[in-house]
Amino acid sequence: MTEALIKTCGLCKTFRNGRLETPVLHDIDLEIGRGEFVAIMGPSGCGKSTLMHIVGLMLSASSGEIFIDGKNAADFSDGQRARVRRDKIGFVFQRFNLLPTISAYKNIAVAERIRGHKVDGQVDRALAAVGMSDKGRFKPGQLSIGQQQRIAIARAISHEPALVLADEPTGNLDSGNAERILELFSEIHRERKVAIMMITHSEAAASVADRVIHMADGRISNA
Amino acid sequence: MSVLAVAIAITLLLILVGLSNGTLNEVSGRIESVDAEIIVRDRHFDLGSMSGGTLWERQADQIMEIEIAGAPAVERVIPVFLGRVKLAGLTQNVFGVCPEDFAYFAGPRRMVDGGLFEDMDAPLEAVEHFTEQARLAEQDRDYRVTPLPLVIDERLANAGGFAVGDHTSYGDTPAVIVGIIETGVAGRVFAPINMLRGVNGIAAQTAHMFFVKATPGLDTGNLQLLAEEIETVTHRAASLVANYGQILSANFRNLTIFVSLVSVIALVICFLFILVTMYTMVLERGREIAILQSLGAARWTILRQTIQESWLLCSLGTVLGILMTYGARWLIQTMQPLMTVEIRPFWIGVAVLIGIGGGAISAMYPGYLALRHDPVEALSFD
Repeated sequence: MTEALIKTCGLCKTFRNGRLETPVLHDIDLEIGRGEFVAIMGPSGCGKSTLMHIVGLMLSASSGEIFIDGKNAADFSDGQRARVRRDKIGFVFQRFNLLPTISAYKNIAVAERIRGHKVDGQVDRALAAVGMSDKGRFKPGQLSIGQQQRIAIARAISHEPALVLADEPTGNLDSGNAERILELFSEIHRERKVAIMMITHSEAAASVADRVIHMADGRISNA
Repeated sequence: MSVLAVAIAITLLLILVGLSNGTLNEVSGRIESVDAEIIVRDRHFDLGSMSGGTLWERQADQIMEIEIAGAPAVERVIPVFLGRVKLAGLTQNVFGVCPEDFAYFAGPRRMVDGGLFEDMDAPLEAVEHFTEQARLAEQDRDYRVTPLPLVIDERLANAGGFAVGDHTSYGDTPAVIVGIIETGVAGRVFAPINMLRGVNGIAAQTAHMFFVKATPGLDTGNLQLLAEEIETVTHRAASLVANYGQILSANFRNLTIFVSLVSVIALVICFLFILVTMYTMVLERGREIAILQSLGAARWTILRQTIQESWLLCSLGTVLGILMTYGARWLIQTMQPLMTVEIRPFWIGVAVLIGIGGGAISAMYPGYLALRHDPVEALSFD
């Protein structure tokens, strides 16, 4: 049996603010295989985004284990967590989170530099993969929101990660743009065999995934 | 904006220090330009307000008689009677001096326009003259009074737009500018000593200061001996003219403390400015930092970047601040020509240290904050 790319066992997360404790995730057991496209659905506040950030090593779990490529991330130092994010994960956010003062091309190039890659053809290839070859010189503010999300996707896939984490990637888009972005995710998944974990509220968005996981009240209600 | 904030802090530091030190050094520099070695004053004479106890003619005679190693030690005693006049919007000390002593004050400086004044023979004659003149002027509005002749320095002339022949007043007494001398002389305004005494109603040959010209060849040790001997003989304070800056600082102890406090406050403000600027930069760029973290930037990369940017900002701000200081000095001295802003290399060095070194140090805390930044919160914040 092929080892899972992501595996969580009894994952819990509780946010603490002074004496106030807010449990967000309870006993999450989840597996995402290599090249698998998984959609996570659930109402607002059910813990979807928190789960995504823990899987993306942007947050630590309060308890439980998370394995990435078979390695227990609980043992990772900050540097190792940063390296896993840098080499194996690509993020796509609802609000794109592009650096506003530099061009689309440089937004992707910055990511490559952080990864320690010499910037040559991969930025152009990433732009071409999202159909934005002619928009590299534009700053994010000069692009439509659909185009901005394409640039964000290009940034997330430029280093050919094993996993793309997308947090409501169509949440800020109109239906036409949302449809095109979902087609793009399907295409990337199909052609690059990259695993995708997509958080969404939308049934239509979830329908492009291989598998849909429903969450409610910090628990997985079906897997 | 951050560069400008640092530049303003640096300018503030250099201007505050430059203005305070510049004023003191300019005054002491002018006094030290007198061609004499010792300055004698009453122990109660206040150099700050230039007022207090007076000296008497007989004390000048006592000083003239002092001998060092059996030889006369004093070539000349130069009395100065001080008055006050308002010119160019500021109250100026008037140095009342004998016309034959003026060369000790002028030194190599030449008269730019006009010439030197003449004096009356004795203060009593001057008192009677000005009293009589005031009485006649009261009776007859057309009576042509003899004005008090003044020689002013070029800087004051430029500041007030004065030319030779211009009329002004000394209190109720008319005065006229008869000469303009190159800048750098001890007083900005000179008047004939007896006439100045007379205008002030002083009939005796008193003075506020004596400058003592020692006989040529006395070394510093002997000059110090001479000063001590003068103190013994006259019971007045005598100090070397070369030490006037120190004496002034000692007399202006409160001002010196004030200048030091202002300098420290300016330094602290400068440092806080940079800290707040860097802090604000990190806060404003929380999302950017979070994006970089999501892309895999390690914490040390973020810290290094924050400090590098801080250095760059502070370096640019420091350079801009130094340039702005020169601009501000020009502006201050154009608008207030009698003010001196002294920009010394030492303080420029301090400013560079504060700007760049302080920038690096003050970036530590914002850098630490950047490390502790919650990227999830920053990325979710709209």
